[in-house]
Amino acid sequence: MAIITFHGVTKVYKTGFRKKKVALKDFSLDIHEGEVFGFLGPNGAGKSTAIKILLNLIFPTAGKAEIMGRSVENKEVRRMVGYLPENPYFYDYLNPVELLIFAGKTSGMDSFKIKEKTEMLLNTVSLWNERKRPIRSYSKGMVQRVGLALALIHDPKVVILDEPMTGLDPIGRRQVIDLILKLKSEGRTIFFSSHILEDIERVCDRIGILVNGNLVRVIDIKSEQFTTSLENIFIEEVEKAGEVQQ
Amino acid sequence: MRSLPITIFIILFAVIGNVVAIAMVSVEREVLREKEGAGLVIPSAIAKVAALEFKGILADIIFSRAMTYYGGKAIRGEKVLEGEWKWIYESMDVATDLDPYFLDPYYFGAMNLAWEANKVKEANALLEKASQYRDWDWTIPFYLGFNHFYFFQDNEKAAFYLMEAAKRPGSINLLPTLAARLSYQGKKTENAIIFLQEMLKKTEDKNVRWIYERRLTALKAILFLERAVAAYQDRFKKQPQNIDELLAKGIIKTIPKDPYGGNFYIDKDGTIKTTSELR
Amino acid sequence: MTAVWQVALITFKEGIKNRVIFGIFIIALLLFAATTVVITLFMRDIVKVAVDLSLSTVSFAGLLTLLFIGVNLFGKDLDKRTIYMVISRPVSRSQYLIGKFSGIVLLTFVVVAFLGILSAAPVILSKRFYYYPEARFDWWIFFIAIVYIFIKLVIVSSVITLFASFTSNSFIALVLSLVVYFIAQSTESVRFLIASQVERIEVSPILSYMVDIAYYVFPNMSAFDLKMQAAHGLKIGPDYFIWTILYAIFYIIATLAIGTLAFRRREFP
Repeated sequence: MAIITFHGVTKVYKTGFRKKKVALKDFSLDIHEGEVFGFLGPNGAGKSTAIKILLNLIFPTAGKAEIMGRSVENKEVRRMVGYLPENPYFYDYLNPVELLIFAGKTSGMDSFKIKEKTEMLLNTVSLWNERKRPIRSYSKGMVQRVGLALALIHDPKVVILDEPMTGLDPIGRRQVIDLILKLKSEGRTIFFSSHILEDIERVCDRIGILVNGNLVRVIDIKSEQFTTSLENIFIEEVEKAGEVQQ
Repeated sequence: MRSLPITIFIILFAVIGNVVAIAMVSVEREVLREKEGAGLVIPSAIAKVAALEFKGILADIIFSRAMTYYGGKAIRGEKVLEGEWKWIYESMDVATDLDPYFLDPYYFGAMNLAWEANKVKEANALLEKASQYRDWDWTIPFYLGFNHFYFFQDNEKAAFYLMEAAKRPGSINLLPTLAARLSYQGKKTENAIIFLQEMLKKTEDKNVRWIYERRLTALKAILFLERAVAAYQDRFKKQPQNIDELLAKGIIKTIPKDPYGGNFYIDKDGTIKTTSELR
Repeated sequence: MTAVWQVALITFKEGIKNRVIFGIFIIALLLFAATTVVITLFMRDIVKVAVDLSLSTVSFAGLLTLLFIGVNLFGKDLDKRTIYMVISRPVSRSQYLIGKFSGIVLLTFVVVAFLGILSAAPVILSKRFYYYPEARFDWWIFFIAIVYIFIKLVIVSSVITLFASFTSNSFIALVLSLVVYFIAQSTESVRFLIASQVERIEVSPILSYMVDIAYYVFPNMSAFDLKMQAAHGLKIGPDYFIWTILYAIFYIIATLAIGTLAFRRREFP
């Protein structure tokens, strides 16, 4: 069952007086329940754009997207979705506990449950001892971990992570990978973008390669026999796209 | 780092020098301001718009400036010049345009403008404005009454203002009597009677009522005699010489008694007066 | 709605913990202290001056709160993308906007209530030492003047919300809000000025018309300035309260509604 669907999504930005940029071109994709789908592509390829359309942060110029059969424009959809943005920013003067209460309450959780999960999550991301300090005192890595907690507190069926490894040291990255695998074992669907190939190879069931707004290739890691490494495939696709442009 | 103590010393030296210098500069600026004379008055209309929601404060500031300037001169024993009085008056005017209920400029204007600057007309103009807005304040028409009485010898106007003042809450009991006396001398006997009758209605204090009733009796007697004199003139086409003539000619049946113990007589100008002078 | 309340709550918390609030309180306290000194320079109407300065301080502090913290609370979301953590929850755009507005109003309420109570101190002092018989003062009217300062600030908050809904950065929203404040404080005076000058000077009918339009489009904030009434204990009839409050309610609803409309299709790339 497709849990996330993109139907011919196109996104066009106006960049100047008469100039436009096409961020996504007729993008169609189905993501199945319980799978880990990795999104790969050079910078500016449109990965964040596709993700933000799912979160209703931006609207498609054409086409539509659905999560669990409902349009992404319906806010109820987001009860089941956990999101970690690319460069997370949170309110400076608040501490993670207050933020998690906000997240839980708006997602419909009751106070007791919120307390329970807050303790569990903050311990998992090793922030329990710092929980009373305001976000402004946090390092980038710590902020990233707060973001993860916020994305997971409400037990979402779908977890969307936009470049979750940025700003993390190798230990941090390892923790995120373990987390993704754990979430997968819990039956959740994970959709994340990255440009660290080895991480993607390690956790994903399927990979989509996005170049210049086009979904050029979808690879099923399990079934396909690799003739070359993922890296070579990636570079090959980028070059191909370059030729088409010229 | 041997240069550290030197640096600190230099900083301290500069800071102290700076503090002293700015104090001196302030004094110099003050001197400059004095030499410039009084200053500028922004027209009310512009001030009202520019003040936004702070009209009250601007009124306070404008008044304060003028008063401080005046006070400074007074302390130094300097005479305030004509142009400066004009500026002071205009400042009071603008301040009360911004806040027409503000007592201090009216008070200052009434006292100083009238007494020192001999600008009674201007003082009265301010007080008129005050009277219109501060309609609960008896002291305003009282000052007006006084000014007209003292500076213009206009008893009629004075009595008019005093009567207005007496109508306002908290006014001193003396006022109606005072007004009535003035209006007796100003020939407005009927008004005074009506006025006193009104005041009587409003007064419950027995002692005050007694004062008013006494005055009322006297004034009624005077009015009675005034009408008799008019009737005499009407009939005989000439002035009666004295009260007894009125009795003799049958215009009146009896001579009313003066409750103050005096005797009524007809004055040279034909008005009714009494030897007691209503005292 | 729990979403609106939750957004309001975090907005309020973020605002109240801002260092700038502390600075605003210090400024206000200094002004109250200065008031107690300044009133000694005046002659008889001391209570009026104390009320003028105290209430103006409350109004000024409230304005500073809105312009520096209120706008910034939106600014953080629009400039620094803190909005992601809100909009990515099951919170609609309108819920977000109304929630933000409510949080700012809550913050303003706390500031005005706190400073409002403190503002009574210089007034009490002035009454104790310098009260003269002809002074009229009524605590009830003083209290209402403070309430009206709050209402006025709520209107400013709705204007800020409106501008935040469609401007791209917080500085523009700040400048626009400030301009609206200045215009809103003067429309009544200017309109009155033009009407009264008709006999004396030639007033262009176009100008007169434009001033009238401005009077209706911009909020008439002079109507919520009851400082003079508080300073002199002037009575206000119940009709005044009814109409001004209705005006405020309608204006705020209209402004927020337009803002919500503008915000519906707002994107956050």
